[in-house]
Amino acid sequence: MRGFEYLEPTTLSEACGLLKRYAGDAKVFAGGSAFTILMKQGLLQPKALVNIKKIEGLRGIRYDPVEGLIIGALVTHHEIETSELLKEKLPILCELEHDVANIRVRNMATVGGNLASGEPLTDLPCVFISLDSKVKISSSSGDRTLPLEKLFVDYYETALASDEILTQVMLPPLEPLTGVEYLRFSSSSVVDKPCVGVSTRITLDAKSQALRTVRIGLGCVAPTPIRARRAEKILEGKPLDPQRLAEAAASASEECSPLSDLRGSEHYKREMVRVLVRRAVPKACKRAQGS
Amino acid sequence: MKKRVNIFVNGVERILEVEPWVTLLEAVRGLGLTGAKLGCDIQVCGTCTLLLDGRPVSACSVLAVDADGRQVLTIEGLGDKNRLHPLQEAFMDCGALQCGYCTSGFILTAKAMLEESPRPTEEQIRSYMGGNFCRCGCYPEILEAIRKVAGL
Repeated sequence: MRGFEYLEPTTLSEACGLLKRYAGDAKVFAGGSAFTILMKQGLLQPKALVNIKKIEGLRGIRYDPVEGLIIGALVTHHEIETSELLKEKLPILCELEHDVANIRVRNMATVGGNLASGEPLTDLPCVFISLDSKVKISSSSGDRTLPLEKLFVDYYETALASDEILTQVMLPPLEPLTGVEYLRFSSSSVVDKPCVGVSTRITLDAKSQALRTVRIGLGCVAPTPIRARRAEKILEGKPLDPQRLAEAAASASEECSPLSDLRGSEHYKREMVRVLVRRAVPKACKRAQGS
Repeated sequence: MKKRVNIFVNGVERILEVEPWVTLLEAVRGLGLTGAKLGCDIQVCGTCTLLLDGRPVSACSVLAVDADGRQVLTIEGLGDKNRLHPLQEAFMDCGALQCGYCTSGFILTAKAMLEESPRPTEEQIRSYMGGNFCRCGCYPEILEAIRKVAGL
């Protein structure tokens, strides 16, 4: 980890200009938790780091009745964990953060970095995908908004160009009668990266109590966080029954493509997906009834 | 190219000229404050824990340039020669260490936790302290020491 310049722009346009000038040899730097590891291991050797922490407007969590929750790229995991606004609007995010890495990482690591690193073994992206989230991206040529699902391309690979900066993530407002549940399973210690994560968002039909909208996000079991679309289809439009739930859970376990590694074999992870989907869906339904 | 940074270490302003890749841990140890240790180097073990603006961070992975203008507390800044911090006293009373390599990290983390939640539950203590490792296995004594200071 040496031989780089440390640049500290104070505006977004200045930062994008620097990234453009270095044409791929400069990297956006925020919390630095993932980045310092990659640099120490020699996997990344940028000529410059562009520290974006001195730029105004990338912090804070706010709620807009139309756009929903807007989380700035520089918001740390610990800020999510302790946010009063999130406790009210989407408490599952605060709860899941208790198990993210350790308090030191949660104090430094940012939401923007979590998403822009393309790291597949994390929690938030899986939940955000099940919420149909979008990300806002800036570059010297302007801003664009992208469905979060489209940000992730492959292991550690995103749709961000080398001169683009992810500035915020937007989580649309939840409809009435909606419940969200996230279940994470760690196969070693709790401070380890998750082995499997399953996030479900379910909106019930007011009259029939059928599952009107179903989202199932799977984390850590594919090159990117993914949606189990076939499983969603199996459940959508009908009331929840054990057989359909088993069918959807089995489908989800086939829709992913986990790798065998120290956190579990491919077979084991598929089984865990099946179990977690079976557990998460009824919990989300229960929350939806109470919402 | 070296950068000039002002870091407030244990309340004293220090002006350092550092290359951007120098870590906060290296910078602080370079000042002779060697309580914090390099362990895993990947933010897992907690031996390099320092408090940055009151919050625990892995100093092995924080760039010193990133601490510019900020407050850093090291174990040396807790208590003084005549009077130790209550956590330091409790760690000694409970025998909460063997080799001592992890101790400064544990004490600083516990200090931050008690400032965030002065009356933590057992579960809160275990969850907050779960990111600090003691390879001598003094966990029961460490927890006992923290409980003692927390008044549990």
